[in-house]
Amino acid sequence: MTPALTPIVLVWLGAWTLNIALTSLDLPFSRVLTPIIFGATILLLWEMACRIFEIPPVILPPPSRIAVSFTQNTSILWTDFVQTILKGALTGWMIGATAAIVTAVAIDRSPFLQRGLLPIGNFVAALPIVGIAPILVMWFGFDWQSKAAVVVVMVFFPILVNMVAGLAATDAMQRDQMATWAAPYWQSLWKLRMPAAMPFLFNGLKITSTLALIGAIVAEFFGSPTKGMGFRISTAVGRLDLPLVWAEILVAAIAGSLFYGIVALIEKKVTFWHPSQRK
Amino acid sequence: MRHLVISAAALASMVTAAHAADDLTLQLKWVTQAQFAGYYVARDKGFYDEEDLNVTIKPGGPDIAPTQVLAGGGADVTVEWMPAALAAREKGLPLVNIAQPYKSSGMMLTCLKESGISDPQTDFAGKTLGVWFAGNEYPFLSWMNTLGLSTEGGEDGVTVLKQGFNVDPLLQKQAACISTMTYNEYGQILDAGLTPDDLVTFKYEDQGVATLEDGLYTLEQNLDDPEMVDKLARFVRASMKGWKYAEEHPEEAAEIVLDNDETGAQTIEHQTRMMSEVAKLTAGSDGTLDEADYQRTVETLLAGGSDPVISKEPEGAWTHAITDKALN
Repeated sequence: MTPALTPIVLVWLGAWTLNIALTSLDLPFSRVLTPIIFGATILLLWEMACRIFEIPPVILPPPSRIAVSFTQNTSILWTDFVQTILKGALTGWMIGATAAIVTAVAIDRSPFLQRGLLPIGNFVAALPIVGIAPILVMWFGFDWQSKAAVVVVMVFFPILVNMVAGLAATDAMQRDQMATWAAPYWQSLWKLRMPAAMPFLFNGLKITSTLALIGAIVAEFFGSPTKGMGFRISTAVGRLDLPLVWAEILVAAIAGSLFYGIVALIEKKVTFWHPSQRK
Repeated sequence: MRHLVISAAALASMVTAAHAADDLTLQLKWVTQAQFAGYYVARDKGFYDEEDLNVTIKPGGPDIAPTQVLAGGGADVTVEWMPAALAAREKGLPLVNIAQPYKSSGMMLTCLKESGISDPQTDFAGKTLGVWFAGNEYPFLSWMNTLGLSTEGGEDGVTVLKQGFNVDPLLQKQAACISTMTYNEYGQILDAGLTPDDLVTFKYEDQGVATLEDGLYTLEQNLDDPEMVDKLARFVRASMKGWKYAEEHPEEAAEIVLDNDETGAQTIEHQTRMMSEVAKLTAGSDGTLDEADYQRTVETLLAGGSDPVISKEPEGAWTHAITDKALN
């Protein structure tokens, strides 16, 4: 063990001890404080390692430099966020989700479609993004439309499978009850089976919220206008502006967490009756 | 007799093993292709062995920034374009040009004739142009700056597309012009069925905005180490020998490149054509950097208007120490 490692290990052990103490005391705020201390420790160790071992910023910039880059480039980061997340990922995710829900209902209505569409959906899900992205860029142009198209392809299948499973989630007794009340297909779908499918649907929506981000960013590597997170990440590496690359990664992480969080919040409101939501 | 030959070969290999050759790693700018034929020829023809070097050649690719590999200690020497190298130098990575096997630039902007572009001075405004990024955008940005065109789009500027590594945007008419290299993409456009009559090309050389391409760069600290300097000089000498051999034997050089292509993506026709085009660019250089070419490159880069590639005249960005030692 090199002597240079000593302060790093000391800080780490100190933070660890602090967290152990906090959790064992079980104070009212320790549930919040413990993860914050953990995260802060990671950043602190990263900063220390960069300085002590003089890691060139081209390889790994310290968090302080990333923070500076983040604050200096807010306008660039905002433009890229709008281009990639709001236009590319969100649009694609919404179109993909809508298409998947409609397809799921169609599959539910007709066994014929179930046998035909599911295998095709399966096939599309197996397509590698690096294979379809250049083709979709060729079809839909260089702007965000092609990124949205990539996202549609990526999110369609996971949502479809979840929704199909969700529509099958009611049991025969419940369906017979609806039939006894002479409810037609659409009414029983709307009043009984759709609500029952919600936990499944939201499972699919949560999974694909992160997929959509990845798809939109990676698709930009294959041709883009001169804005967007994927564009910036790939070009800033070429310019050795690694702090900017990490700032973009930070934006992606924040956006991904927010996106997931919002979907989870809506789920809480919609599926309040579900056992998993009980406090 | 055969036993004798084998044991003689074994003996030879033992002799070289007994006194180990110096290791050196070269990071290429791009994938294995005739653009780097000189280095593969030097290795396969034994020119590096003659100089007592054991050279590892690492191919690059779309996700590899050669300067970053050098910074991380993954290579001793890298093949890089001067604009990217000077920009990296300004970013705090002390790259130094130690040799310049390419005399001229192979970069062009290739336009569809039907787009109505005949004069860069007047016809680019309002058009969409395809550009490579990842360090290759610098020459283009400098050129647009000298033309006084904004790259933010609009009526008076040009709209820039980040071009992938193919010529589709031109074939699909998504862009009026795309970036091409004389030895690579231009041929791909012709392969796709367009004829030279359908196209208008603007060579950066002819526009007076050419920047030096495919030079050899190393980190400054290597030049303070006499042993390393000696190793680099031997490397440059053998590499230039490889280049001159490749210029004279384009077919054989293309074969050697193909043998070294682990991806299996290259074809002999493509590589032979590339080699004959590359030979035109390496002709006229013995490896020594021409100061006038360097000055022109720097001036082109400094000509940036609002967003110059480099903000001040670089110092110590090149040296003749290695080539003088290698070639005299």
